[in-house]
Amino acid sequence: MQTLNIEGEMTIYTAAEQKNLLLAFIASGHTLEINLSQVNELDTAGTQLLILAKQHAAKAQKQLRFVMHSKAVLDVLALANLTSLLGHSD
Amino acid sequence: MAKTILVVDDSASVRQVVSIALKSAGYDIIEGVDGKDALTKLNGQKIHLIISDVNMPNMDGIAFVKAAKQLPAYKFTPVIMLTTESQEAKKLEGQAAGAKAWVVKPFQPAQMLAAVSKLILP
Amino acid sequence: MSFDEEMQAALETFVIESQELLQTMEDDLLSLEQQTDPSEAIAAIFRAAHTIKGSSGLFGLDHIVRFTHVVESVLDALRDGHLSVSTELVAILLPCRDHIALLVEALAEGQETEDAAQSQTGDALLRQLRPYLGEESAVAPVKATAPTNDPAQTGNWHISLRFGADSFRNGMDPLAFISYLGTLGSIVTLTTLTDALPDAADMNPETSYLGFEIDLQSDVGKEAIEGVFEFVREDSIIHILPPNSSIDSYIDLIRSLPEDEQRLGEILIHSGVLTRRELEAGLQQQGQPTPEGSPPQQIGSILVETQSVPQPLVDAALEKQKQAKESKARENQSIRVDAEKLDILIDLVGELVISCAAANLRAVQLKDSRLLETNAEIIGLVEEVRDSALKLRMVPIGSTFSRFQRVVRDVSADLGKDISLVITGGETEVDKSVIEHIGDPLMHLVRNSMDHGIEAAALRAERGKPAKGTLRLNAYHESGTIVIEVSDDGGGLNRDRILAKAIERGLVQPGITPSDKEIYALIFEPGFSTAEQVSNLSGRGVGMDVVNQNITALRGTIDIDSVPGEGTSLKIRLPLTLAIIDGFLISIGHSFFVIPQDRIIECLEMPSTCNNYDYMDLRGEVLPFIRLGALFKLDTHNDTAEDTTPRNREASKRENVVVVEYAGSKTGLVVDQLLGEFQTVIKPLGKLFNHVQGIGGSTILGSGEVALIIDVPVLVRHYSQREQAALRAVPQYACA
Repeated sequence: MQTLNIEGEMTIYTAAEQKNLLLAFIASGHTLEINLSQVNELDTAGTQLLILAKQHAAKAQKQLRFVMHSKAVLDVLALANLTSLLGHSD
Repeated sequence: MAKTILVVDDSASVRQVVSIALKSAGYDIIEGVDGKDALTKLNGQKIHLIISDVNMPNMDGIAFVKAAKQLPAYKFTPVIMLTTESQEAKKLEGQAAGAKAWVVKPFQPAQMLAAVSKLILP
Repeated sequence: MSFDEEMQAALETFVIESQELLQTMEDDLLSLEQQTDPSEAIAAIFRAAHTIKGSSGLFGLDHIVRFTHVVESVLDALRDGHLSVSTELVAILLPCRDHIALLVEALAEGQETEDAAQSQTGDALLRQLRPYLGEESAVAPVKATAPTNDPAQTGNWHISLRFGADSFRNGMDPLAFISYLGTLGSIVTLTTLTDALPDAADMNPETSYLGFEIDLQSDVGKEAIEGVFEFVREDSIIHILPPNSSIDSYIDLIRSLPEDEQRLGEILIHSGVLTRRELEAGLQQQGQPTPEGSPPQQIGSILVETQSVPQPLVDAALEKQKQAKESKARENQSIRVDAEKLDILIDLVGELVISCAAANLRAVQLKDSRLLETNAEIIGLVEEVRDSALKLRMVPIGSTFSRFQRVVRDVSADLGKDISLVITGGETEVDKSVIEHIGDPLMHLVRNSMDHGIEAAALRAERGKPAKGTLRLNAYHESGTIVIEVSDDGGGLNRDRILAKAIERGLVQPGITPSDKEIYALIFEPGFSTAEQVSNLSGRGVGMDVVNQNITALRGTIDIDSVPGEGTSLKIRLPLTLAIIDGFLISIGHSFFVIPQDRIIECLEMPSTCNNYDYMDLRGEVLPFIRLGALFKLDTHNDTAEDTTPRNREASKRENVVVVEYAGSKTGLVVDQLLGEFQTVIKPLGKLFNHVQGIGGSTILGSGEVALIIDVPVLVRHYSQREQAALRAVPQYACA
């Protein structure tokens, strides 16, 4: 199983770079886990990227899970009502 | 993590009241006394929002916003322009420069807080 | 600090800031007509009004906002060139400025709303301004209110949001808006639509693709909900359906949105807005949409029911060109410090100076050369600290001068004379304590010059002078003092009339011919000029003796120069600070006195031949004496028990003369011992000494003893008044 730790912010400022990072990570294995415990800021651009990662993994028939969501991440997912899509349990 | 707001106005009392209101809402505040001074505060530190007056000596708000938007660290940072109802043109000019939000002077602290919370996630 | 205290502090900042802005406003208003290109001054005036209005709104000072708003509108028209500078306009704007100043002043005294009288004055002024406002810019109501809270229908609002593609890049974060929307009520359901999100390869991570369907339970009005999205409405598609909208309007919504109809329908069913039957019936009933689907909603509008939001049409390009040039760069950065704190600092430095003197005295007594050396170093540093501390209180005299623009303008209008004020040397700095005391004397002098100095236009024409009179205020530094000049190009003083009046009043003995300077100085004599004489004399009027007293109290002097027909010039010389002086310590018997250094010309040993005279010959000049011992009724000479060595007794027998100068003439002060230079912190005298003429203050010596500070001008004048008649009546011969 591959694990990716994302640290710092997931925002419009980091979106371009993180898109490449996420796609490369998804390409790197079959059972994938992204650790969000070190994400201290998440905005709509970052959220959109998480959705993209989820959809892209599904299309590529990979197992992708988000784990260890930080509070900053959970708050935004709750607001966007995306907890079931991007939350911990699959 | 408290979010940081840069408040730029040549009026000390406006800066003071805006700062008091925003600090009481949990934001960290950096102040700039005019555009030129404010640019020196854009030294790479994370700033979540810029609030800038239009009419200022040394460098006005429009020029400041244009300059700020040139900096990679602040090109996506939301900007609230402080305009007056007689400055519809300034508002448009500010929008062209990258200040997509505005608060009309005179405003009360609650109005400023409302505008800020539309732009920054808690 | 609590929130309230902080706001109170902010209010104080507002008052100070407004007062500064109002000063700028006045200065610039007064200079408007003189400037060839007034655009910079207009911009500054506008900004002043603008800032005051903006700030007062913050504090909910609606009365100031309301009044200043109209003033600002007129200034805006002036700035844009719709109005031009005229005497009439300035004459209306000045009292408007004054009215704002009045409101700010009332605020400083705790009055946060206007009273009836103020509102009446304000309304009267606004009526005068109204003609200057174009019809279309007639007083717009000013909104200084919290977000609207209209009562509206209860129930759920349905809100569809499709943010513009550039939202993120513009710094607009859709979820932040939604989070704020949640504060207006409670979000019952929210669906994030990802339908528009493309494949990873085509997806631009900085573009916004998400959509939101929201049901909000809230009591606020539609305006408030629209208001949430005002920053993004121009680039976004936003639908707001009020509670209980017709099924048709939901169906219309579904049709107009880009997503699949069924999917949207599911969302509405899920959120309880529609039942499945209603949805299906609705979609069928409306039949086929118009050929290319229902007209897609235009980006940039928020549809609320069928009501569209009118777009403000403004010709931005045109306005852009009118952007006012930003005016003069603000002065160097500075911090604002409470004057009281500075006073405390200066006081402490004063104490430090005294302590140093005490330490030094001790070192001298101990004859410890290394201690003396160290002490000298400390004293040097303390002097530097003193100088820097005093500099902190130095302010340019310019703002005091420029207040007179207004005075000259008003008084010359009253007098029917045309007088311009020319200010130079405004950057000259002087201690704040001096500034505070100089206003009144200057006011007297300026009014006098205008009233009695500068002639009426007809007389000026007769004398071949320009019709417009000129009054000058000038300042400069000269050897540790500040010199302030008030000069006019008027008729000058009438020497003969003054002399005649002085003889009549017994101020000058007949047959004596004083110098011109002495004659002019007579106008400062108490009671010399009274209201009746003003009109008789071509010169000065009431209150000149008061001026003189004020200046003397500041340890200053006034000199007069006057050329008949060409004008008069008054030169006020003042110490740069009132707190500390450099003095010369002397003793008479057991008493110590300090004579201000700047008054001292030289010190001499008393020639032995002069002991019984009241004059001596100082290199051919007659030098009158004042025997301080006799004047203050002191035991002179230290011939008491503790000081009986023959040498000391011999030395102390010889008196010394300190030659001082006042008003251009020299006087010798006869003292016992000269003890050397001494830096002195002035302490005010107690009431006990109020009646003693010639003592200006006291200080404490390093030894703990008190020394009195001699006020040379008062002493000399007081003494010469007493002695003059007698001295001149009985001829005496100066000793060799």
